[in-house]
Amino acid sequence: MANIDKDAPGTSQLLIGNEAIARGALEAGIGFAAAYPGTPSSEILGSLAQVAKEMGIYAEWSVNEKVAMEAAAGASFAGIRALASMKQNGINVVSDFLANLVMSGIGKGGLVLVSCDDPSAISSSNEQDTRTIAKWLDIPLVEPGDFQETKDMTRWLFDLAEELGTLCMLRSVTRIAHARGNVKLGELPKKQRKAYFDQIHDLKSVMPTTFMPIPSPLRHSFLHMKMDKARGKFEGSAFNRYVGPNKADLLIITCGSCWLYSQDAVKALKLEDRVGILKLGTLWPLPEKFIREHLGKSEKLLFVEEIDPFLERGVMEMVANLPLSSPRPIFYGKRSGHVNAYGELNPDLVIKAISNILGLTYQPRDIEYRKKAEAFAKSNVPERSMTFCAGCPHRATFWAIKNALKLDGRGGVVTGDIGCYSMALGPAGFFQVRTMHCMGAGAGVANGLGKLGQFGFDQPVLAVVGDSTFYHATIPALINGIYNQSKFILVILDNNATAMTGFQPHPGTGMTAMGEPTKVVSMEALCRSLGAHVEVCDPFNLKDITATLLNMMAEGGGAKVAIMRRQCELVRAKKDKPPYKVHVDPEKCIGEACGCDRLCTRIFLCPGLIWDKKTGKSKIDEIICTGCGVCVDVCPQGAIIKEAA
Amino acid sequence: MATGAKGCKELFSEVIETGLCALCGACTGTCPYLVYYKGKIALLDNCALLKGQCYEYCPRTYIGMDAISQQVFGVPYSEEELGTTKEVLMARSTDANMRKKVQYGGAVTTLLSLALAEGFIDGAVLARTSDDKIPSPFLAQSADEVLQCTGSSYMACPVLGRYNQIPKDNGNKLGIVAMPCQALAVAKMKKDPPENRASIGNVKLVIGLFCTWALSPDKFHQFLKEKLDLSKVKKFDIPPPPANRFDIYTTSGKISLPLDEIRQFIMPTCAYCLDMTSEFADISVGSVEGIEDWNTVIIRTDIGADLVEMAKRKGKLQIDKLPSANLTHLKEASLLKKKRALNEIIKKSGDKNNLLYVGLSPRLADKLLA
Repeated sequence: MANIDKDAPGTSQLLIGNEAIARGALEAGIGFAAAYPGTPSSEILGSLAQVAKEMGIYAEWSVNEKVAMEAAAGASFAGIRALASMKQNGINVVSDFLANLVMSGIGKGGLVLVSCDDPSAISSSNEQDTRTIAKWLDIPLVEPGDFQETKDMTRWLFDLAEELGTLCMLRSVTRIAHARGNVKLGELPKKQRKAYFDQIHDLKSVMPTTFMPIPSPLRHSFLHMKMDKARGKFEGSAFNRYVGPNKADLLIITCGSCWLYSQDAVKALKLEDRVGILKLGTLWPLPEKFIREHLGKSEKLLFVEEIDPFLERGVMEMVANLPLSSPRPIFYGKRSGHVNAYGELNPDLVIKAISNILGLTYQPRDIEYRKKAEAFAKSNVPERSMTFCAGCPHRATFWAIKNALKLDGRGGVVTGDIGCYSMALGPAGFFQVRTMHCMGAGAGVANGLGKLGQFGFDQPVLAVVGDSTFYHATIPALINGIYNQSKFILVILDNNATAMTGFQPHPGTGMTAMGEPTKVVSMEALCRSLGAHVEVCDPFNLKDITATLLNMMAEGGGAKVAIMRRQCELVRAKKDKPPYKVHVDPEKCIGEACGCDRLCTRIFLCPGLIWDKKTGKSKIDEIICTGCGVCVDVCPQGAIIKEAA
Repeated sequence: MATGAKGCKELFSEVIETGLCALCGACTGTCPYLVYYKGKIALLDNCALLKGQCYEYCPRTYIGMDAISQQVFGVPYSEEELGTTKEVLMARSTDANMRKKVQYGGAVTTLLSLALAEGFIDGAVLARTSDDKIPSPFLAQSADEVLQCTGSSYMACPVLGRYNQIPKDNGNKLGIVAMPCQALAVAKMKKDPPENRASIGNVKLVIGLFCTWALSPDKFHQFLKEKLDLSKVKKFDIPPPPANRFDIYTTSGKISLPLDEIRQFIMPTCAYCLDMTSEFADISVGSVEGIEDWNTVIIRTDIGADLVEMAKRKGKLQIDKLPSANLTHLKEASLLKKKRALNEIIKKSGDKNNLLYVGLSPRLADKLLA
């Protein structure tokens, strides 16, 4: 990671967007940062945690986004500047708290919420646009359009939050969060504030300090006053700007990374003289006067923004309120179909939209060249399927789940949620997982399925959940299942890491974000204390875990817990040598003559196993194989041999 | 109806899903996809092979009776009630202590122990009943281990899966204690030897058991478990008619259940089985009506004759003539099973020319159906 703590004002650093946010927070004198990992937001807290000790700040991976936000609010209440960061899904987890927090207001410490959206859901279950929550909550929202702005906006947002006494939100997207650009550094503060929860702080110094959302109508009106103040500040903000001719054939209104795409598109089309770009950095409340000043630039408006028509609708509302005599622009965007109302945008899509509106034909290069270039690029990319890593304990667990469900024969159902194990929706996990929604949802859904006995439901129900997700969002569902006697097995895939987002620690790992050892919150002790029948198993012992699952399915009673415990192979491989050296005995492998019909490479599908077309037999890919030895128990001929490495 | 090229898909559609599976185990043990569990054959994954040995050796897929008989006995399928026989007699172990532990006369245990001791076989595949009375396939390699397998549970057990598990390079000579359906499957294997398994030629001895029907292992076990402490059970017995009882000998005495109470657990496939006396075994063994502690023994092959002769010569088996009334009754019962089964088969197929898996000569079929 980059030196986000480099004390060299005026010099430039190459930072990814998330590091720029972290740097901005450091320059703002942040004292407290909390987050739950989630792509594309994870590097914000990750980079802050790395420098936390030397910078004298506190950084934590919280158990979930709600707790992260609440903890950050706690710091704010005691006068410390605080930041909570999360991916778009986290906004939903935290929204109940937010709806109350905006009413109570923040403390003396500026409080900033960073939400990293994932258009096209590249690393997500959905592509929710979180900008709308700012409108819903009545909070100031900004979105940076480049890396310098990312840092500068973050820094400024803490001042704004303190000045207005309200939570402020920064929205970023994957292409800002994970792309890299030069950032000119500012000053780092030399002194941290003292934390103190001021017991009496009202004007007459008589009323105790309280942070509460009631009386709601009154506080709601205060909130609107804060928003009016914010709007006033946004009108003159340097984060909003117009580049283009005074009279344009088309005015693009855009924000964030779409600003970059718009600039590329206009440049590629050589339309700098005909198309103007109004770039907004402060998105809510909209700087209405500023926008109105530029509306007359063209009678045609094109909105270039990702996911929802947030700006498009906002400007429409504005225009509806203009005097009747005002010119009525034509709106182009998601509503008109000129811009996709889903997925990421890119310069090509913007070029298409502009060309369409202005009646241009644009061909960046001849089609044949393009086809050839694509084919050439593809020829250099090895074929890879979306699968679990070689040696991943999840593959073993899902192998056992598959076999146990088939042996049980009642058509058992596996519910799941978000994590590496979501891949079990596909061939990697033998298509075992059948439901996938938000974190912890598999266990919740299992609660319902597990209570359908009175309607003739006899299918076993298994809810799979990762270890981090267990702590994050599953415990209430488990308690519900035990208390209401719902018949399901919670299968915790405990690989001792928040693997999918980059191995962040969680309460089961015994390590804090800042690298300090801490007390492990034992999931089995917790589950047992709830009264659950708990089995702790090693997923590499296929025979045992299959039998355990079969026994648990055959038992009566409410929710049970099977913990499949084995460290994430990527974590293990960093520390230890492979436990086994694995090879295929070409004498024993009978290849295509085997009745298994290539079970190893057709069904088991560990990337460490390959089918040698020349010999018509299986073999180990020695580069990829991590020596877990699980396939030894899968080959019906006993042709895969493991020897202690 | 010829077998043709069929695989596990057809095994399921024609046999397992139609209630014809006898749980013999012939399709299990070597295939990673077909697995026996609690009274059922499960398919763990899709097998893409169009032709499978699972289908080929199933005793409920087409059997050319003449062809397998030719293979085992060198003659077409016998039209006699008891199939091909050399001699039918009565036998019992000379070891009175052993007789207390075994089902009737201890002929099977005696013959297997002798075959092992004489190096006639190196191991025997058979059913062993656990302490809580769940039968499972077992490879016995000594007389002691054979003794662990005495007594019948009357529950089906996929014994042939254990044979299939023997590594293909293993040259040990084998005996198999087979139910009639299992003896049929072994005969099919002898006719067209399986690939990638221990050679069927290693199977030197098939001791068949008489069988009227078998009980569905999981369901019946559940039923018993709810009734009594199975660890206290020493032996099960169904005394010959007209007793009409199922006797359970426990450490604290005998419990008798009306046979009608347990009929609900009879495997549906048994209604479609023609074979009461394991007609494709080397030696078939059953009880003797009205004479306790003796076995009826049918010798069918030279190998069977040699082994019984050796047991007699070495004083291991006491041999006697089977009373003619018993022989007559045995033949009647065997014929009755054939007739009933054929009628049930026709009822199931809905066509008197469609005998499902049974490949009988039209002449014999007509004779049995007359």
